[in-house]
Order: sequence, then structure tokens, then C-alpha cells
Amino acid sequence: MQRVIIIIIIKSENVRKTFHGLTLIFPKSAESESLASKYAYDEWLVSRFLEYVPRVEDFLSKMERLPTQYIRVNTLKTSRQELENRLRSKGFELRNTIMPEVLAVNKAPLATGATTEYLLGLYYIQDLGSCLAVDALGVAEGQAVLDVAAAPGGKTTFIAQKMNNTGSIIALEPNGRRARSMSFNIMRCGVYNTSIFRMDGLQASKFEMKFDRVLLDAPCSCEGVIAKDITRKTSHTPQDVDYCSRMQDKLIEIAARCVKPSGILLYSTCSFAPEENEMVIDRLLQKSGNITVEPVRHGSRGGLTKFGDWTFDHQLKNALRLYPHIDDTTGFFIARLRVN
Amino acid sequence: MICRQPAREERTQINRALGRWGAFEFFKHKPLIIQEVGTKKKIVCLVTGDIEKAIQVMEDPYSAGLAIGELKKQFIPSIAGADLFARYGRRNKYYITVGEKAENLVLYGRDIMGESIEAASDALDENELVIVLNTAFEAIAVGRTRFAGRSLFQKGRVTVSTIADAGYYLREEG
Repeated sequence: MQRVIIIIIIKSENVRKTFHGLTLIFPKSAESESLASKYAYDEWLVSRFLEYVPRVEDFLSKMERLPTQYIRVNTLKTSRQELENRLRSKGFELRNTIMPEVLAVNKAPLATGATTEYLLGLYYIQDLGSCLAVDALGVAEGQAVLDVAAAPGGKTTFIAQKMNNTGSIIALEPNGRRARSMSFNIMRCGVYNTSIFRMDGLQASKFEMKFDRVLLDAPCSCEGVIAKDITRKTSHTPQDVDYCSRMQDKLIEIAARCVKPSGILLYSTCSFAPEENEMVIDRLLQKSGNITVEPVRHGSRGGLTKFGDWTFDHQLKNALRLYPHIDDTTGFFIARLRVN
Repeated sequence: MICRQPAREERTQINRALGRWGAFEFFKHKPLIIQEVGTKKKIVCLVTGDIEKAIQVMEDPYSAGLAIGELKKQFIPSIAGADLFARYGRRNKYYITVGEKAENLVLYGRDIMGESIEAASDALDENELVIVLNTAFEAIAVGRTRFAGRSLFQKGRVTVSTIADAGYYLREEG
């Protein structure tokens, strides 16, 4: 498919900014060139980080190291204490996090994904940021939940756990291989309140059902997980951000239509790019007029209300940005939207 | 994939199996559905009442609830089913226990040697389905006996064939 990229150059206060589609590119600076060279990134990416990531060099340095590994206790099958005792007896060193169900793995004498406890579904390897997104969704027993882009099922199985295997979760995943992988995780975790549909999130409005909670962990450019895949330092392009942003716009509109009155839509990505986060929410707020952004628990850094020449709805400060060098998670953006 | 209520004779077969594994009470008031895969495969799934209603409205799910076993001539428990039976059922002669070393081998899909079995009922016959537990009484596999009674403990021979194990998820995904 041929793609057309519109490049517009605007002049403002002697700063030349370029748009690749929706993606804002900032002019090179000595700092951006030096950091890009030192940490082997494409310069355009670092010049953007300088605009929205606090303490950029700390961040780039942190991305050179593997992220902290977290495990989420599957309380459908065990208790935290019991799991801690079992893993400690095998030589694991664990520490507490801000979430009672989540433990950080300081030392693992064997692969965390190959222990008997893992195979029996007593825990799930899941980043703290991902768990915080589920926490922000605020599910209760007996509710109806839609998980729009569900595979591999980390968030889905955590939602099931928080609902104590009651109510219903409809999980959408168009890709057959990923749906299969997700079904394994559901079986391993002993989840029985979930049904997987091989369906694109864009088709979700076909459902006659409305949901108390809708989770849209949107497909994104994955800027937040560069530490896990360093090829993204140079393979990531402005076109990726542009493509994802447009896709996210469509998905969030459809997801919002699936929410019951007064229900919650939780939007998250593992990207830092404002075009994939604040900008998507801002456009939805402008279009809908009946959606509010509610504060997210555990939040220390809110969403942006300004980026380049753009200003976003002031409610976006209620969103949550998670940074690897500050929060010790992968990069994450979380916004909790009340659909009135 | 078609999801439907179990027919009367299927329900009888499922109930008999649940009784066999000592788990009838746990499942008594829980909805079970049949997922038909292709023309022959009939998967028994534990669902919530809300999922049962939802899949009547939304057709053609890829999966619904938790697959606890497959209906063939006999009900064959899945690992997820075996896990629930071991967790909530009453342990009886159809459960055997293996030691820690054997646990690791079983999780690689290996069959079970006689010397690895720590506990098994004398009343077990040859060719019986059994749930294989580790020393913490967690279901790690579903197996079929090759010998009866005390012969299950004989050294140097495979006495239980592993037909499903919890390591399967990892091997399949890898």
C-alpha cells in the first residue's frame, strides 16, 4: 500500500518544527546530536525525548539496562505469602512494590518463566506498568468487561483475578497465533470468566452489548520498551508514530461507544509519544463532549498539557506517565476516562 | 466454533467423570458448555453465567471459559481441569503422587517410572486415567496407568504414561 506523508514546515519563535503526518519533529541541537551519538539512537527520537521525557540522559542510560522483572501473584490460585515462600526457598530474591499483588524479582536462580510455579499458573510475568493499568480500570466482581486488544492476556488474566472469576470478560484478538497463546495463558491461570473472539477492535461496535469497563491497551510504536528491544533505537520511525496515532484514534472512538453510561474506558500504551497518548485523548474529548479524565491512583507524573505548539485539555494532567528511570517500569501511559 | 449446552447423555457422562475425580460438588451449580471443534472434537468448558449469556448474543467465540476436558468415549481431563479437580475435589484412588525429581521430568512431557511414584492406590487397575500430583498435591499431569496396584511401583519401568502435562503451555508457545 502506498503511503503519502505530508511534510509541513512551520516557523514559530525561530524554532523550525517539521511534521511527518501527525508526528512532530524538532530541530537538531548540539545536545540531541551528542546524546543520540552516545547512546546510538536516531537523532529525531532524542530531540523529541528532550521535549517530553524528564532527565533525558538518566532515561537513556536506564534504557541500556534490562528492565526490572516483575511477577504478578495469581490470587485465583495462591496467596502472595505462599508464593513468596516457595520462590524464596528456590533461591529467588523478591521485593515488594506499590501493588500488593506484584513482586519485583531481584535475583532469579533459574528462568522465571520455567519454574513449576509458573507452569502451574501461580504467577504471571508482567510489568508493573501493565498491572497499574489494570488497577486503574477499577473492576468489581460481576461486571462486564471488554478488552479490546487483549493478547497475550496479562491484563485480561489480572482483570479476571480482580473480578474473582465472576462476571464476564470479552477479549478481542484478531491474530490466530496470538489468540492461541492467550488461550494458553487463560488456561494456565485458571480463568473461566473470559471468552476470546478473533476479531479486530475496529469491529467491536458490532456487539449489541455495552460494558461496565472497557480496556484499550492500544497497539503502539512501543517507545517505552526500547530497553527490551534496542533495535527500536534506529528502526523506529516518525511514520510509525503517525500510523499508530491514526489507528489509535479509530480504536478509541469505537471503544468509547462500547461503554455503558457512567462506565470507564481505560486507555493505555507502552509509548511516550504524545501523538499516541495525550493527542488521542484530546481529540476524543473534543469530539465527544461527554467524557472526563479521572485521576489515576499511584500517579506521580501526569499527562502533558502542552507539546510543541499544541495544547491539550487541562484534564490530561489526570492521566499517568510512567518512566523507566523514575518509576522503574517500562514506559507507559494510562488514562482513565469516564463516559457520561 | 459452536458453543452449546451439553445434551442429557453428555451431561451424564460429565457428571460421572466429575464424580470419579471427587469434584462433583464443586461443579454442581457451575455452568458447563460444550465447544465443538470441527466435526468430532467436543471440549467441555467451565464458564460463568454471564459468559454463558454473552456467547449466546455474540456468536462464534474462539474460546469460552476454561476448557476442563474433552468428551471422547471417556471424559479426558485437561491440565486446567485436573488443576481444579485436585484443588477442589476429594482426592481418591485416581490421584497418584510423584517426587520432586520426577516432577521436573513430567513437566517436560516424560512418562513416569515406577520408582518415581510416591503414592498410588493398590486398587488402581491397568489402563486407568489418573491425575498426577506433585508433593504439594498440585496437578502436574494427566496420565494412564500401564500396570495395576503394587506393580505401579516397579523399578526401572515406565508404569504411567503421561498424556498431558503442565509444561505443555511452555513447549507449545516456545
